[in-house]
Amino acid sequence: MYLVADINVEICAATSCKLCTQFCPEANTILYNNDAGKEKGLKYGSAYVAVDRCKGCAQCVWVCDNMAKHHAIKMVMIDQLPQAAITDNVTYGEKDTTALLVSQMVG
Amino acid sequence: MSLDYVKFSPGFEKFMPKEYRDMVEHGPFGKKVTVSQMGSFKEILEEHPMCAGCAMTLFIRLAIISFPNPEDTITVGTAGCGRLAISQAAIPFVYGNYGDQNGVASGLSRGLRLRFGDKPKDVVVMVGDGGMADIGFSGTLHSWFRKEKFTTIMLDNEVYGNTGGQESGMTNQGAVLKMAPLGKKFEKMDMLGMAKIAGCAYVATVVPNNPRRVESVIKKAVLIAREVGPTYIQAYTSCNIEYAIPTDKVMEDAKNVENDRYQFSEYVTEDAKQYLAERYGYKEFLPKPAAAISKA
Ligand SMILES: Cc1ncc(C[n+]2csc(CCOP(=O)(O)OP(=O)(O)O)c2C)c(N)n1
Ligand code: SF4
Ligand code: SF4
Ligand code: SF4
Repeated sequence: MYLVADINVEICAATSCKLCTQFCPEANTILYNNDAGKEKGLKYGSAYVAVDRCKGCAQCVWVCDNMAKHHAIKMVMIDQLPQAAITDNVTYGEKDTTALLVSQMVG
Repeated sequence: MSLDYVKFSPGFEKFMPKEYRDMVEHGPFGKKVTVSQMGSFKEILEEHPMCAGCAMTLFIRLAIISFPNPEDTITVGTAGCGRLAISQAAIPFVYGNYGDQNGVASGLSRGLRLRFGDKPKDVVVMVGDGGMADIGFSGTLHSWFRKEKFTTIMLDNEVYGNTGGQESGMTNQGAVLKMAPLGKKFEKMDMLGMAKIAGCAYVATVVPNNPRRVESVIKKAVLIAREVGPTYIQAYTSCNIEYAIPTDKVMEDAKNVENDRYQFSEYVTEDAKQYLAERYGYKEFLPKPAAAISKA
């Protein structure tokens, strides 16, 4: 198993500063959904990770902890994530993206 | 090279992979995208085999987003880590022998001008410090002396990363590397000084811990190279493998190196300032109003 970044929607959607993706070395990996968390009354939408592209470097964790100071990202073993986004399930819109979350565990 | 090459051929749309469809429909071609919109549009750069956490990868990602007209851009690279990613972007990439990049780019940029006249086609060289300051040194300098109009970007990781850690002319004095165990004996080469002496119209240093600054210098360098003269960007893009930087400390290292030997610097000739102000509306380069000068 290996680590991937996992973003806590409730913490991120409180501000959604959009900083982490600017520092992720991998393209199209940290994406934004402007509606995430709105059903819980959170305002700004949230970042999420397309885990099939994440290389597990944890740079985004450093950025969220030290630059954004929001502590919304943790590294998690991929089989411990009940559900996550993958590239095949991402839909691009005009100003953001949406992703159907799927279980990473096969079989 | 135009918006046409990113369109689907009639009848083939449904056979194209999702990534390609996303890129045609939601990519940056023909639009103006900025780094602050990252994460909401499909990027041109695709998956590639560069190491996890590599700052060079991040820089390449930011650079490609910052190209003013990606549909009219050709990148030129050479042996070294960077080409592993640059070649995985949906813009034409030219790859020659190790170190010949500025010769190749000279011919390419002249040819494009002959073929397309005034319509700008941007040529951007992106290669490692070894490929530029050592192996391709004379070709680089000569292209600048000849005033070849294209952008040269050094991906300076201060080591030969792709071949396991030999020192380059850009390695810092005293640095000990796997294949330079006695430590680098002489100083880091002053390629910035040489770029100025050789006649570059724009010379800047940048570190990827400031994405908006990367965007700003890339845009200026590419625009100036269209008409004014050669432009040079030297980017610190650490190699976390050869310098044993933990991947979650790569940005911390970038900050330290920025403070130590990579402070932001930007040199813009008067011609280039005037060009950016008049042609592209850069307010920072507009001449100061006469009243302000007389009061001073
Ligand atoms: C003529 C020639 N000599 C040697 C090599 C082997 N080679 C491939 S990459 C490389 C080093 C690249 O170092 P640098 O240009 O600093 O780029 P980095 O990998 O550090 O990004 C070398 C020596 C080659 N491909 N061609
Ligand atoms: S840096 Fe943290 S708070 Fe900001 S968008 Fe990323 S995950 Fe959300
Ligand atoms: S762990 Fe690294 S690759 Fe994965 S999302 Fe974070 S910065 Fe990107
Ligand atoms: S060897 Fe170094 S420069 Fe090359 S991809 Fe890996 S971390 Fe980046």
